[in-house]
Amino acid sequence: MKAGAFLRSLWTTDPQRVARQYLWGGFLFLLVGGLLAMLIRFQWAWPGQPVPGLGWVLPESKGALTPPTYTAVFTMHGLLMIFFAVTPLLFGALGHFVLPLAIGSKQMAFPRLSPFGFWAYAVGGALMLVSFVVRLGPASAGWTSYPPLATSAFTPSLGQTLVTVAVLCVGVSAFLYGLNFVVTVVRCRAPGMTWGRMPLVVWGLFYGAVLNVLFVPVLAAATGLLLLDRVAGTQFFIAGAAAVGGGGDPVVYQHLFWLFGHPEVYILILPAWGMVGDFVAFFSRKPAHGYRMTAGAMGAVTALSGAVYAHHLFTSGMAPVLGRTFMVLTLLISLPAQVMFLNWLMTLWRGSVRLTSPMLAALATMIVFGLGGITGLALGAVATDVPLHGTMWVVGHFHLTMGAASFLAVFAGLYFWFPRMYGRALDERLAKVHVVLSAVLFIAVFGGQLVAGYAGQLRRLYDPYQYAFLSHLLTLNRWTSWAAFALGAAQLVFVVNLARTLGWGRAAEPNPWRVGTLEWTDAGPGAVVLRGPHALSQPEVQEQLGRDWVGQAEPLPSGAAVPEPVAAPVPGVEGAV
Amino acid sequence: MAESPALPPASSSDVAPPDAQAPLAVPPARGAWSLAPPENASATGDRIDALLATSHRFDVALALVMLGWLLVAVVRFRGARKVAPDGGTRRSRAWVLGLAVGVFGVVDGTLFLGSQGYLNDVLWNFRVPAEDPRTVRIEINAHQWSWEVRYAGTDGAFGTRDDVVTWNDLRVPAGVPVWVQLVSTDVVHGFSLPAFRVKLDAIPGRVNQTWFQAAREGAWEAACYQHCGTSHYRMRGMLTAMSPEAYAAWLREASLKAVQAYDADDTAAHWGWVWRTP
Repeated sequence: MKAGAFLRSLWTTDPQRVARQYLWGGFLFLLVGGLLAMLIRFQWAWPGQPVPGLGWVLPESKGALTPPTYTAVFTMHGLLMIFFAVTPLLFGALGHFVLPLAIGSKQMAFPRLSPFGFWAYAVGGALMLVSFVVRLGPASAGWTSYPPLATSAFTPSLGQTLVTVAVLCVGVSAFLYGLNFVVTVVRCRAPGMTWGRMPLVVWGLFYGAVLNVLFVPVLAAATGLLLLDRVAGTQFFIAGAAAVGGGGDPVVYQHLFWLFGHPEVYILILPAWGMVGDFVAFFSRKPAHGYRMTAGAMGAVTALSGAVYAHHLFTSGMAPVLGRTFMVLTLLISLPAQVMFLNWLMTLWRGSVRLTSPMLAALATMIVFGLGGITGLALGAVATDVPLHGTMWVVGHFHLTMGAASFLAVFAGLYFWFPRMYGRALDERLAKVHVVLSAVLFIAVFGGQLVAGYAGQLRRLYDPYQYAFLSHLLTLNRWTSWAAFALGAAQLVFVVNLARTLGWGRAAEPNPWRVGTLEWTDAGPGAVVLRGPHALSQPEVQEQLGRDWVGQAEPLPSGAAVPEPVAAPVPGVEGAV
Repeated sequence: MAESPALPPASSSDVAPPDAQAPLAVPPARGAWSLAPPENASATGDRIDALLATSHRFDVALALVMLGWLLVAVVRFRGARKVAPDGGTRRSRAWVLGLAVGVFGVVDGTLFLGSQGYLNDVLWNFRVPAEDPRTVRIEINAHQWSWEVRYAGTDGAFGTRDDVVTWNDLRVPAGVPVWVQLVSTDVVHGFSLPAFRVKLDAIPGRVNQTWFQAAREGAWEAACYQHCGTSHYRMRGMLTAMSPEAYAAWLREASLKAVQAYDADDTAAHWGWVWRTP
C-alpha cells in the first residue's frame, strides 16, 4: 500500500474499522498497564530488590524500583488501564463494532465523529507514552491526581502535565463516542427495532454512553482547571498551601473527580452487564429471564450512578447529613444490581447450557463481578468504610468489579464477535483455557488483596512493611504476586491464539453461535425487525425451521408471529398477527 | 524523580521523635491468611469490628449462594434437551423481585442500621468529647512526610507559650476521650490509626475533626493512607497511650520546657489555632 493510501485508510468513517483501530490501541495499553502492574506486585513481594531485566531502564538503582519510580508506576498503571485500555476496548472496539450492526444500522449517526474520537484517543495515548521519558519524570500523583499534590508546586514533572492533557484528550474521545452512541441508538434503529427488542448489550452500551455524555465533561472540568493550576498559575484547587497561599479548595477537585469517577465504574461495567445478559441467554438457549426488568435495573443503576459518588469521600470530613445521604443512596444501588444478577441466574436455571468460550467468559464475569460487588457492601456503609477506606480491600474490590469483570467481559465479547470482526474463528480450546486461567488467577490476586486490606494494609505504599502492623503480610503479598505473574503469563495463551488465528485460522461460519441478533443474521437493507434478541427455543420456530433460533428480522414461512420472548406465553393465540 | 526521602524535621520540644526505622514493640502478628483486622485498641472499635464481621458473613453467604446456584445450574442443565421458551413467568419474575428486595432488606438493612448506630453514638457524636471534662484535645498538622502534633499544655489553651509540640509522636491518656483537630500544610494527607479504626483526611484549608478513646495503655502506629508524594510510605507516627497520671506528668514537664524554649520570633512554630467547636 502506498503511504498516501495508508494514511487515508487511517481516517475511516466505517465504524467496524474504527473498532479494529481501537482494539489494537486498547491491547497496546493493556500490555503496558499490565506490565506496570507486574512491577507493583514485584515491589510488594521483594521490596527494593532489583527487578530482573530492568537494569537497562533504571541503571542507577540496578533495576530496583525507587520510591519515585514506584509512585510513577502505580499512577501510570491506573491511568492507562482505566482511560486507555478497558474503556476504549469496551466502547471504542466492541461498542463501535457491535452497536450499529446490532440495531440494524450500517453507520453511526455521526460517522466522522468516530475517527475523530479515535485520533483524540491516539494523541492522548501517545502523550501517555511520551510522559515516561520526559524531563523530571512521569506523572506520580496517583491516577486520581488529587491537588495540591498534582499541582506543579508538589509534582513539577513535565510528565504530570502531559498526562493531564492526555486525560483531556481521552475525555474528548469518550464524550464523542458517547454522544455518537446515544444519538445512533435513539435515531438509527432499523424499522421494528423497538426499545424492547434491543439486545441487552445495546442497552448496556447505550446507558454507558449516556453516562459518558453526562459525566465526562465533569472530568474535563476537573482536569482542565487542574491543568490551568499547573501551567497558568491559577489556584482553583490550592488553599492554605505553604508554597503558594491562595483561596482555592482541594476538596472541590475531589467532588468533581468522583462525580465523574464513580459513574466511570458503571461506564466500564454496563456494557459488561449487557454482554453477560445476552450471552447467558444465547448459551442457555432460552430467552433472558425478565428482560424488561434487567434493562430497567440497568437503567436504575445508571440513574443512581451519579448520586452515590460521595461515598469516596466519607473520610474527607464531609457533613454528617451528606455522609448519611450518600450511605443510603450507595446501599440502594445494590438493589437493581441484585435484580439483574438474579435474572441472569434464573436464565441459566432450566436452560440448555453450552459452555462455549464466550459463555465461560460471561460466567466468569458474573462470578468476579459478584464477588467484587459483595465486597463493596462494607464500603457503602460509613462505619465499616472507615477502617477499610484507603486499604487494599478497596483495591481488591474495585479490581474485581471494574478490572477483572470488565477485562473478562472484553474477552467474552471478543471471543463472541471475533468471527464476525475478522472472518476467522479463534481456537475454542485455547480460548477456554485462557478464560478459565484468567478468572481463577484474577480471584487469587484480588482475593489476596482483599485479605491484605482487611488486615489493614494501606494502598500505594512503596514498602508496606515499614509499618510493624503490616510486616506479617509479606508472605501473603508474595503469594499474591506469584498469582499475578501467572495471570500475566496466562495472557500469552490469548496472544498465541490471536497470532495463530490471524495467520492461519480457518474461516469462520457465518453464524457460529446460532443466534438471531442482527449482527449475525443481517437480512439486508430495508429489513424489518420482527422480534426480540433472544427468540431461542420457540416451539413454532423449531417446528417450521427445524432449528432453535430465528433471526430478529427473519420472517417465518407461515407468517406466524413468534411470541415476544419477554412475555409469558399466552395459550391459544398462535397464528394471531 | 530526584526527590530524596525527607527526614522528619527537627523537633521543637525535648521529646525525642521515634526513629522510623527502629524496631518497635509491636502488637503480635495476626495470621496472614485469616481475615482479621488489625488489633483493636479502641474503646469503641469492637462495635465496628462486629459490624464488619457481620458484613463479612453476609459476603460469604451471598458468595456461596451465587457460586452454588451457578455451578448447579451449569452442571445440571448442561445441554438439557428441553427449555422454557419464555423469559420467565409472572410468578418467577415476582420471585426475583421479592428475593432481591428481601436480601437487600436484610443485608443492606443490617449494615445501615449498624452503621447508623455507630455514627450516632461515636463517629459523628462530638457531644461525647465535648461533655467529658477529662477530654484531651490535640491539634495535628500533617506535612510531607510527618505528623506534627500540638498539645495545649498545662494552661489548657492552644496558641500560648506552653503549647507542647511533638513530631510523629502522639501521646494520649488511656481511657479518656481524645479529640483531634486535623489540618495539612501542603498536600492532602490521610490520618489513620488502624488499631483505633480512625481515619480522616488532612486537607489544606480546612480543619477536620474526629475523636477516639484508647481502651488500654500501649503503643500503636499512625499511618498516612492518602498518597501524598514520594515518601508517603514513610509517613509513620507512633501513638502511645499512657496512664492518665503518666500523661499528666509528661505534659507538665514538656509544657515547662516549651515555655523555656519559647521563641516569639519563630513564626513557623505558631500554627496552633483557637480550638474550633463544631
